[in-house]
Amino acid sequence: MAEFLLKTIWVAPFYGFLGAILSLPWSLGIIRRSGPRPAAYINILMTAIGFIHGTIALHLVWGVPTQKLVFHWLEVADLDLTLVVELSPVSIGGLELVTGISLLAQVYALGYMEKDWALARFFALMGFFEAALVGIALSDSLLLSYGLLELLTFSTYLLVGFWYAQPLVVTAARDAFLTKRVGDIILLMGIVAMSAYGSGLNFSELESWAKTFPLHPTAAALLGLSLIAGPTGKCAQFPLNLWLDEAMEGPNPAGILRNSIVVSAGAYVLIKLQPIFTLSPVSSDALIILGTVTVVGTSLMAVAQIDIKRALSHSTSAYLGLVFIAVGLGQVDVAFLLLFAHAIAKALLFMSAGSLILVTSNQNITEMGGLWSRMPATATAFLAGSAGLLALTPMGMFWTFDRWFNGSWDTDWWLLITVIFVNVLSAINLTRLFRAIFLGNPQPKTRRAPEVNWQMALPMVSLTVVTFLAPLAPIQWNLWLSPNTPLTQPNVQVTQWAMPLLVASGVIGCIIGSLIPVRKTWARSSNVTVRFVQDLCAYDFYVDRLYEVTLVAGVSLLSKFTSWIDRYVVDGLVNLVSLATIFSGNTLKYNTTGKSQFYILTIVLAISALLWSVVNSQWSVVTNYWSSLIQ
Amino acid sequence: MVISPTKPTRSQLIEEYTQRLESGQALLQDSPQNLIEVIGVLKSYGIVLDAYSVNLCYIANTQFLKLFPFFKYFNGEINPKKFLRNIWHDRINYEYAEYCMKSMMWHGGGGLDAYLDTPEYRAIAYKVIKAKFKYNPLMLGLHKLFPDFLPELLRQMCYYSGLGQFWRVMSDIFIDLSDRYDRGEIKSIPDVVQHILDGLVKDAARPIIYKVTIRGEEYEIIPQSMGITFLMDTGVPYVEAIFFRGTPFHGTISYNAQAYQIPYDQGAFGYGALYADPLPIGGAGIPPTLLMQDMRHFIPDYLMDIYRHNIRGEGDLRIQICQSFQKSMFCVTTAAVKGLAPHPLDTTDPEQQAANRNYLKGWLTRLFDSQMITVNQN
Amino acid sequence: MLSALILIPLLGSLVVGLFPDKTGKISRNLAIATSVTALLVNIYLGWQFDPSTSGFQFSEYAPWLEWIGLNYSIGIDGLSLPLVFLNSFLTLIAIIITDKSLARPRFYYSMLLLLSCGAVGAFLARDLLLFFLFYELEIAPLYFLIAIWGGKRRGYAAMKFLLYTAVSGILVLASFLGLVWLTGADSFAYEPLRGHTLSLNAQLLLIAPLLVGIFIKIPIFPFHTWLPDAHVEASTPISVLLAGVLLKLGTYALLRFGLGLFLEAWVFLAPWMAILAGISALYGASCAIAQKDMKKVVAYSSIAHMAYILLAVSATTRLSITASVFQMVSHGLISALLFMLVGVVYQKTGSRDVESLRGLLNPERGLPVTGGLMILGVMASSGLPGMVGFISEFLVFRGSFPIFSIPTLLCLVGTGLTAVYFLLVINKVFFGRLTESLAHLPRVKWVEHAPAFVMLFLIIAFGIQPSWVIHLSEAQAVALLTGG
Repeated sequence: MAEFLLKTIWVAPFYGFLGAILSLPWSLGIIRRSGPRPAAYINILMTAIGFIHGTIALHLVWGVPTQKLVFHWLEVADLDLTLVVELSPVSIGGLELVTGISLLAQVYALGYMEKDWALARFFALMGFFEAALVGIALSDSLLLSYGLLELLTFSTYLLVGFWYAQPLVVTAARDAFLTKRVGDIILLMGIVAMSAYGSGLNFSELESWAKTFPLHPTAAALLGLSLIAGPTGKCAQFPLNLWLDEAMEGPNPAGILRNSIVVSAGAYVLIKLQPIFTLSPVSSDALIILGTVTVVGTSLMAVAQIDIKRALSHSTSAYLGLVFIAVGLGQVDVAFLLLFAHAIAKALLFMSAGSLILVTSNQNITEMGGLWSRMPATATAFLAGSAGLLALTPMGMFWTFDRWFNGSWDTDWWLLITVIFVNVLSAINLTRLFRAIFLGNPQPKTRRAPEVNWQMALPMVSLTVVTFLAPLAPIQWNLWLSPNTPLTQPNVQVTQWAMPLLVASGVIGCIIGSLIPVRKTWARSSNVTVRFVQDLCAYDFYVDRLYEVTLVAGVSLLSKFTSWIDRYVVDGLVNLVSLATIFSGNTLKYNTTGKSQFYILTIVLAISALLWSVVNSQWSVVTNYWSSLIQ
Repeated sequence: MVISPTKPTRSQLIEEYTQRLESGQALLQDSPQNLIEVIGVLKSYGIVLDAYSVNLCYIANTQFLKLFPFFKYFNGEINPKKFLRNIWHDRINYEYAEYCMKSMMWHGGGGLDAYLDTPEYRAIAYKVIKAKFKYNPLMLGLHKLFPDFLPELLRQMCYYSGLGQFWRVMSDIFIDLSDRYDRGEIKSIPDVVQHILDGLVKDAARPIIYKVTIRGEEYEIIPQSMGITFLMDTGVPYVEAIFFRGTPFHGTISYNAQAYQIPYDQGAFGYGALYADPLPIGGAGIPPTLLMQDMRHFIPDYLMDIYRHNIRGEGDLRIQICQSFQKSMFCVTTAAVKGLAPHPLDTTDPEQQAANRNYLKGWLTRLFDSQMITVNQN
Repeated sequence: MLSALILIPLLGSLVVGLFPDKTGKISRNLAIATSVTALLVNIYLGWQFDPSTSGFQFSEYAPWLEWIGLNYSIGIDGLSLPLVFLNSFLTLIAIIITDKSLARPRFYYSMLLLLSCGAVGAFLARDLLLFFLFYELEIAPLYFLIAIWGGKRRGYAAMKFLLYTAVSGILVLASFLGLVWLTGADSFAYEPLRGHTLSLNAQLLLIAPLLVGIFIKIPIFPFHTWLPDAHVEASTPISVLLAGVLLKLGTYALLRFGLGLFLEAWVFLAPWMAILAGISALYGASCAIAQKDMKKVVAYSSIAHMAYILLAVSATTRLSITASVFQMVSHGLISALLFMLVGVVYQKTGSRDVESLRGLLNPERGLPVTGGLMILGVMASSGLPGMVGFISEFLVFRGSFPIFSIPTLLCLVGTGLTAVYFLLVINKVFFGRLTESLAHLPRVKWVEHAPAFVMLFLIIAFGIQPSWVIHLSEAQAVALLTGG
């Protein structure tokens, strides 16, 4: 029985998928007289089953060597496409994280979305979303992971576009899809190339392939860059980061998943691709550069946001930037811990944000205040989430950083400074948010704020508890992927000073955060420079405008141009040439060999020419006749 | 050159509606079609409000301060059959009643709102909490830590009760209206308005009281002595919060703070029942869909026949109900406007007339951007 | 048995054309019966077909005009079987989705069946001249179908179609005649002609007109301009057939005759054709972005996706040739689905204008199910994994990349652009608030969506189990390259 449950863990994605299928009668409007809640219950049940199945499987797989389930999907010519499912603590642990957070988010959604009649569609999409995520967690095949990442892109599109009639949603859904799609297509290019170079497209084979295959340095660099592109889009890294901001137009329960485990899914694939990045210094450098740019940029953006969801979502990009850096340095275990610690804390912060939005009908933090003592579950969730995210309190992120800088890994000053930067700005941001939302005097919109109902409070409190338990992971099992810690010669000064400096940075961040003026509605600094910097960060350094005037305008102009060419040049020219061909065809009078076939050529040409000549008069008469009968 | 008829200006239209009200007409044009729609939809609305009202009062009286009110929509009647129907979602969408209650509480206004901020309320709330959690040190500890948490929940219960009592009256008025129509006593839209007005006036001073019983002891959370009354303390805030202001729908408005689509001042909100666009009803993120869904089960046959004759038949029933519902709400608004006017609207005293005009202008200016013009166009 | 596939629609066409019928009901039912029978025969043949061997099966031969070397010789192999299937299936779909209140139904259904007959004959022909005859046979009915039951500018579009395809036919014929003349063969039979080898120059001389003729048919930039016009003016069922089947005649000829008869010249020209494929893919995609008519967007998308087939056939690897057949099936299903859904939108709203349609996802008064299907169809077209478009394109790219890296990457960019132009359309037409002028649309019945659901089912089924189609053509694809 136990073995059976382990061997059948590959069905886990189908739980979510089945839930989505079973929701169809409601989401398609076949059942109209009664409401859509059964669809929600079905999906929650399916997720719960997946979670339980995963728990048993995790128990069984713990301490057992990694096993693989191989499905031969398609064998054609010299290509053998296999789909491989990995059974290891990492993959099934990932499955648990996904189904666990998804379960909480769905129960949460039962409360958050209670007055939305399109509930069935929402839950169907959540089921689909979860199925793709679970699949990515289990997959050991690049092709399968790619496919699932694409499905994730698609379901993100549908989830962001859930409120399809709202104008900003329309553009947000489109941009989310297209941005991710840019990454996906480049990733697909890499996969095609890699497969063509003879790699087996299974993650576990990558390492040996990367070691043995003699790849040209340029090719290796390009390959690495193309494989980075997919996760860059998924993890909202520069320059494909803006979709996450826009995606905040979508329903919050989906936002919980998106900011915790969906971005992690991209990074998870990146971690699995890490052997490829060792092929060329260009790709690992690119990872570090992209990560650092994102860390700096999005941290600054986050601090300037006045929208609670956006203030949190930009910080997601920043932490994922650290993951990119870690992968670029080849420190995949750290990357994994970062993902784990971030996912739980960020999910909790988003739950808290959702209940604030529901209670105050508002996302603008400058219009909030004084909620602390009226919303205990929400407030503690926010505090716990912040604590889990900062290297200040001995929780998830603290221990993760500790494991990073305790000398096991090769770390340097610049890395420490980057991490400190994230920590300081994150601390400023979270403190600022906490003050604006929970402290001070209530404003009109927060004057009446009863705590949310149990469907939302229960997941929030549960996840708060989980957040307090999360440090166990980095403390107990800091090596998930590597068999043992690599032997390095640590920079002793860095390892000595890292944790004290990080904690100090957290303290400093909190102090700054509690000193800076929290903007209360419309009250803004009169200093032009301050305002400029504020706006620059608040509006994401105007990168979206930049894209608009360059890329978007370019494509649009090009398409208009080709369309014009098509209409006036190509069409006209070809029409002319084809006429000329017919005329000249008539003059094709070669020699007179007795071959009967050749006579036919001339005959047919003559007939064709004749046909053409009668076409204008005769055939149009026929068609006119028929047409006249119709009218 | 053909001179096309110019669109009437804003002030012209306001003038037109003012005259209409002064001459005894309603904001909604009087026509047989409108009458059938209004009566039919109010009939089903009355039935739905009855259910809402019963449930709100049930929750207020028995489910207060329960952290896990799993069966709050069961009205105390828990059996397998009802449970299955609930699972199948074959029930009234009480979520909508709660949504209205929450918006009303959030927007505030009126005597009930003011009372909830008084020391008297605080005292009684503390007493209730102490009594309720007498044997639950955990909750009492939480109460110490977060002293506003439970009182705020209890405030919400006051609104549960207040809205429940308000809807009780409204439900009776609408059912009664339908009965009178069936008896042939209601012949025009002004008759409808008069009926509602009479109903409101009759119960205007009806006290709103909220009492709970804990372990046999009764606690008056809204005591009669506070003088909270039906019309001014629940009716007027209700009209303001639900008819006018409302809350922005996720399905049509962006909550993005940097998009600034939602005004800072709640008084500037125009998302209420009189303003809402009926076309997106039935879609995602449009809470009134729940109400329309509830009403569809109780639409009288004569109205259903009309709906079925439209191009989509029952396919767009909820939008059609919403359009009729909006019409009926303009009748209720007319009654409220009439009832609250400083002088009778048909007065001949010029001084009173001037005061009335001033008063009407205020209302009509606010109503101008609502669906009022659209409703009267077709 | 194989002749039944040709004879059934031919007979059906005659019967429908001659059987008196006032209301159009009888014609329609007769047409449906005919196409169902053809489909059943098809399924039976598919059942009996042995995919593990190459070469023609169920061959039939009857001497005809031997003095010019023309014989009735047909057979089916792994290249043609999927396409013959596609033809039977889409013909049935096209008949089902035809407007019941259509004018002159007898003539219409008769022509439709004749069209189907022409297409299937061309796929089955083992004789070059026979192929040409069927290839020409399909032009006349299609001309009438566009010219009589088309849109406003149907006369222009039909004439343009006629001229282009007539030229295409003449060029193909010229090449065939030249081949027979230069090799000195005594008939147009396909296999003997494959056995002959000509000098490279002679091959180049002969393949040039053939390629231009085929490029017009597929169509490949810059010979494509007849297609958007034809699609826009044709009624929905005709667009379905045009995109789903008739364009495949071109790519089929490319494989069967271009590659099959002139291998050396083919390899010589392949790099240029691959580049042309890349350009055509990008050009089609780029034009699609600027279109305002939904049908034109799908039409240009068709141009872009057909270019992948040219890429795959140019690459001449075992994988790419197999993939090219699969891509034909994939594109046939997906583009047919898209044209069908655009047709539903047009029928209900009276418009295909991207700028004026808005908010059709509205569940009460819009076309929500059509919208949902459209989103899925568009995703299939832009290569969403789990649907047939992904795996067919992946195999095309994977098969072509080792030979022609840059053109493959260009085509991949085209795939990326597919999402761009389709999403722009979807978000404009289906998202947002329903426009006031569209607030009183008639309902779409579930029956009307049934064909779309069937096609979507196939698209997903083949996307998950591609080997169902691929294993039919793999052996033959290999044989084509090895000369077997």
